Amino acid sequence: MSKRQLAMVMDLNKCIGCQTCTVACKTQWTNRNGREYMYWNNVETQPGAGYPRNWMEAGGGFDADGNLKDGIIPDMVLDYGVPWDYNHDELFGNADQTVLSPNTDPVWGPNWDEDVGEGDWPNSYFFYLPRICNHCSNPGCLAACPREAIFKREQDGIVLVDLERCQGYRYCIAGCPYKKIYFNPKISKSEKCIFCFPRIEKGLPPACAHQCVGRIRFVGFLDDEDSQVYKLVHKYKVALPLRPDFGTQPNVYYVPPVLSPPKFDEEGKPMEGGRIPMEYLEKLFGPEVHKAAETLLAEMEKRKRGEESELMDILIAYSHADMFRLDENYYQEVAAKQGLKGTEFFKLIDERYVQGKNTPKVEGVYGVKYFETQPAVENEHKEGH
Amino acid sequence: MKRRIKLVAIGLSSILIAGISKAEDKNQKEFMKYEVINGQYVKEEISADPDAYLWKTVRGKKVFLYPQISVRLNDKNANKLIPKKKLLSALVKVAYNDRDIAVYIRWKDETPSVQTVYDTNRFADGVSIEFPNRFGKGITLPYVGMGDENHPVTVYLQKTVEGRDYQKVFISEGFGSLTEIKEPADIQMKYNEKTKEWTAVFKRPLKTENSNLKAGLVPVAFAIWDGSKYERDGNKSLSKWKFIKLKKFPLDKEYLDYVSWGYPASKLGNPERGKKVALQNGCAACHRFDDQKTAPVGMAPNLSDIGGIAVPVYLKESIVNPNDVVIRNLNPNRHYNKYAKPDKFKAYPNNDMYQWYMVVNGKKQSKMPPFSHLSEQDLKDLIAYLSTLKSWKNFK
Repeated sequence: MSKRQLAMVMDLNKCIGCQTCTVACKTQWTNRNGREYMYWNNVETQPGAGYPRNWMEAGGGFDADGNLKDGIIPDMVLDYGVPWDYNHDELFGNADQTVLSPNTDPVWGPNWDEDVGEGDWPNSYFFYLPRICNHCSNPGCLAACPREAIFKREQDGIVLVDLERCQGYRYCIAGCPYKKIYFNPKISKSEKCIFCFPRIEKGLPPACAHQCVGRIRFVGFLDDEDSQVYKLVHKYKVALPLRPDFGTQPNVYYVPPVLSPPKFDEEGKPMEGGRIPMEYLEKLFGPEVHKAAETLLAEMEKRKRGEESELMDILIAYSHADMFRLDENYYQEVAAKQGLKGTEFFKLIDERYVQGKNTPKVEGVYGVKYFETQPAVENEHKEGH
Repeated sequence: MKRRIKLVAIGLSSILIAGISKAEDKNQKEFMKYEVINGQYVKEEISADPDAYLWKTVRGKKVFLYPQISVRLNDKNANKLIPKKKLLSALVKVAYNDRDIAVYIRWKDETPSVQTVYDTNRFADGVSIEFPNRFGKGITLPYVGMGDENHPVTVYLQKTVEGRDYQKVFISEGFGSLTEIKEPADIQMKYNEKTKEWTAVFKRPLKTENSNLKAGLVPVAFAIWDGSKYERDGNKSLSKWKFIKLKKFPLDKEYLDYVSWGYPASKLGNPERGKKVALQNGCAACHRFDDQKTAPVGMAPNLSDIGGIAVPVYLKESIVNPNDVVIRNLNPNRHYNKYAKPDKFKAYPNNDMYQWYMVVNGKKQSKMPPFSHLSEQDLKDLIAYLSTLKSWKNFK
């Protein structure tokens, strides 16, 4: 089987921080069964502490010699933030109770420092940074797992947790420098963004990308030279990985926010150049950011002069059909090669990490012998995944 | 004339042999005293309740558990605490009847901790025991840390997880191979607020699908996790192989001779000379131990407290025939070769961690060459030295 890599590009110049992607992901995957606190997709304000709090300083990833670095596991209350409810029930029809208040005293949460940013008026600045799992080529989570319960699918490079192998040791969370893998305390296992692989296998883009109102997200295979993802990443080199210095080789790429509003001088007159310091963008996206900024601004000028610009046409995001190139038949061929047919195929594409030889097998619905699942996972199925 | 010399020689050697066997007897007695837990035979049903009266009548033995540092994991907060850990001692008792065997284990823990239902960074206290699936005459001991490919072990685990009774039975063939099985076991664990002690009892049938403990001498090992020190997985305290004596079953003298070989290691050889042997033979090129820190981290198991978890005969086998016990190291992606050429789209770089083994004809082979050429004295001195290594204070 060929080794392929799916990738996503997000154009930060167009993100308005509306959190539609966050909600799309949350309602699809993480509003239940111990995942309530997780945001597989979040949009945070940069510069800022982000979500989980100070994730960039929480360790993980690889050092210059290629060794996995130690990391920490963020705290539920202090770093992620516990989901809270309001006292609607007490307020309703109760004249004595008039103050709407949360049922806990939260100290942090996703988007806690929204729009804070840095700098003083009138030159304060910030931008939005949507984050999902980067489905890295060299994943820190995968490297950290002592049970090799995390795997990277050969057919598309999606990084997944095998919940049957996972024992909830949480070294993956320390190992991921983006802190985009989470511990589910209810089932005592790690869970993460799955790049909506059940959708992907049907030719649909991930929910976050599909729902994005700003149309900032592009999805495609990196080796598909006709895909817009390929063109943004490899042809024009304007889409860059986040914190490439972490050494995990992320596969979510960002068009850096180089088109920020101008700075004002003391007399209130606009000055040359954007408001977001290039040094900060360099910290986030690496030294390539200067070249990318140059290309973006040059292509923009071209367009202003009335000339053709393929890059600008791509970034305008005219049509979903061009932005998402998933090639549905590709997965059907993979399934067919494995002798699978019908609707169940995606469940079985990966058999590499199913349980070991000592696990008792049970008869499955299609007459296939499955490995007996652990009680926690069984319950999960009953309660509705 | 010739004959007389011969006679004298025979006489001398018989005195020598008698002398050696006397010393051996003494060593074996000491072995029985310190390394062997006497199982108490009872007629009635055995209770897995730690407070049951039965356990007041059974005599126990002290077992020491050492912080595991052979492999290094990547939790910063947990690693910071390792050098501060104390040697753990536990009281172990064993009772058996015609059908079942039960192991009682009690240890001090000032900070009882539970893995809570709504936290990301709280860890459970826990305890586990393991038995080799096969043991006895002619069968070498498994790696004490959850067995190895040639020596599967059955592991019983109890953890304090809020909302459910987290107890499991596994088959294990080394790191990362833990596979849950459905075997009958009755496990109970209780905390005593007054004495600040955990007590757990593991009860299982003497004979199960995977192992038969109906023998005079049964190897057993213990592991304890302290949740307040972020312990889980390989981050734990571990005992060396201990042995349970079951009087109802015949004790195989040959097996006793085998497992007690070299005991006590302090009398086996000269540790100072042993260190020289270790350095001359280049052990420090791959292993870190004692003051030897030149080997890259993760290149081979860290031996700094190997004396706490390995018995002399296991050390002997590991040196002379490393292929008998091949330990799979942790995830090979832990180190990647940044100079390796990735594919065209940088999607699949070459990961090449230091593997502790290679695969030859589908079988794992240790990368450590056999040091069977060592003279007997060198070997004994080396084992005496390795047995003195019991420090985790320099862990970084």
